Amino acid sequence: MEYPTGKGVYPAMSEQKPSILSKFSRNRRLRQEVCDQRDRLFRLAWSWCHDQHLAEDLVQETLARGLQKLDTLREESRLGVWLTRIMANLYRDQFRKTREETGLEIDPVEDEETPERETDRSQLVQRTRDAIAALNDDQRQIVTLVDLSGFSYADAAQILDVPVGTVMSRLSRARIKLREHLERSQHVTQHKVVPLRKQ
Amino acid sequence: MRHNDELDINAYVDGELTPEERLEFLEAMRDNPELSREACELTNLKSQLQLAYANPPGLSAGATARKRSPWGAIAAGTVLLTTGLLGGWVLGTAPNHSERFVMLDAEGRGQAPATAESPETRIVVHLTNPNQAVAGELLDDVEHMLRAYQRDGQPLRVEIVSHGDGLDLLRTRLSEHQERIGKLSQAFGNLTFVACKNTIDRVEVSQGIEVNIIPEAQITGSGVNHVAKRQKEGWSYIRV
Repeated sequence: MEYPTGKGVYPAMSEQKPSILSKFSRNRRLRQEVCDQRDRLFRLAWSWCHDQHLAEDLVQETLARGLQKLDTLREESRLGVWLTRIMANLYRDQFRKTREETGLEIDPVEDEETPERETDRSQLVQRTRDAIAALNDDQRQIVTLVDLSGFSYADAAQILDVPVGTVMSRLSRARIKLREHLERSQHVTQHKVVPLRKQ
Repeated sequence: MRHNDELDINAYVDGELTPEERLEFLEAMRDNPELSREACELTNLKSQLQLAYANPPGLSAGATARKRSPWGAIAAGTVLLTTGLLGGWVLGTAPNHSERFVMLDAEGRGQAPATAESPETRIVVHLTNPNQAVAGELLDDVEHMLRAYQRDGQPLRVEIVSHGDGLDLLRTRLSEHQERIGKLSQAFGNLTFVACKNTIDRVEVSQGIEVNIIPEAQITGSGVNHVAKRQKEGWSYIRV
């Protein structure tokens, strides 16, 4: 069959059903934007639980819910906050509860032994992850929301459904604890790598 | 250090201070090396945290791609169909800009004029693309559209005519979307799947196999004739 390139008159359907088409188009665009958030959400989810499969499940569920509820998103520019809030709620209501019920605590991360592991950089990564693991859930969430995802205090407050003042105090405490932990592990590491004591 | 100072340092490194507060804090830092050192350490801590989670296990290309496939496909489809289907549709004045989606009227001149006359929107989709990921994206779009029209109480009819390489979508042995087609057909009486008998015969003869078509699909003698007939009746035409 041939498809001519004629110059007929094309009464644009957008004129007939602007609302439907614009909704359709908006949903399409937003669906892509939702999917584009995956890596950011995964980093955040992983930082909360340090468990790949749990983080994957959490992100998949977040994306699925986000896609289902797209119609309820009012401000498109707030998509990132909106999705993260969905994920925080899921984490609180399902994942975190399950973990607490089963008595499982977040473990320090055990990376595979690689040559890179010996480098300062990977030691720093490991120590930082361990320090994050040592925080409680509330502190871990707030510090990763602000430092990792770069959310403002107001956004973090909305995501966690707490007042901004709580965000600020939690964040401050979390950072103090992080620094204390890092300082201690720094000494341990130094002690380990400089075994220059004479027997 | 007082509690408020801690909050101020945090707010400073997080960019949460107003310009006036920031200026005040900068001045305080100038007079207080301890404050300055604290702010510097907190800034380092932020960078350190970003580094620690830049590449968590599972974000590597392989694992991520495997888990991402459904979402990745949706994302890819979004670009494709937004620029294709909707592009050709909304920007009906330039249907040839899309290589994969072509819209013609009854005389083959572009957007079907009948949509302006009839209150019912009627669309025939001519599926000849063998890629079932593309077919899946098409189903996504069609479903969205059916739901949107249903929600707004607007009449709509859609026919998906599988022809040539596009027949695979409706073959029981090859379709990756059989279950979904079943659900969609059940949910939407205004959606019809049509398989081309000529294509079925051709495959059976050339490959010496029996071609089974999924039960929800109707079978028409010639997919091309069917599509042409729909166009003459004033249906909007989309080729995928």
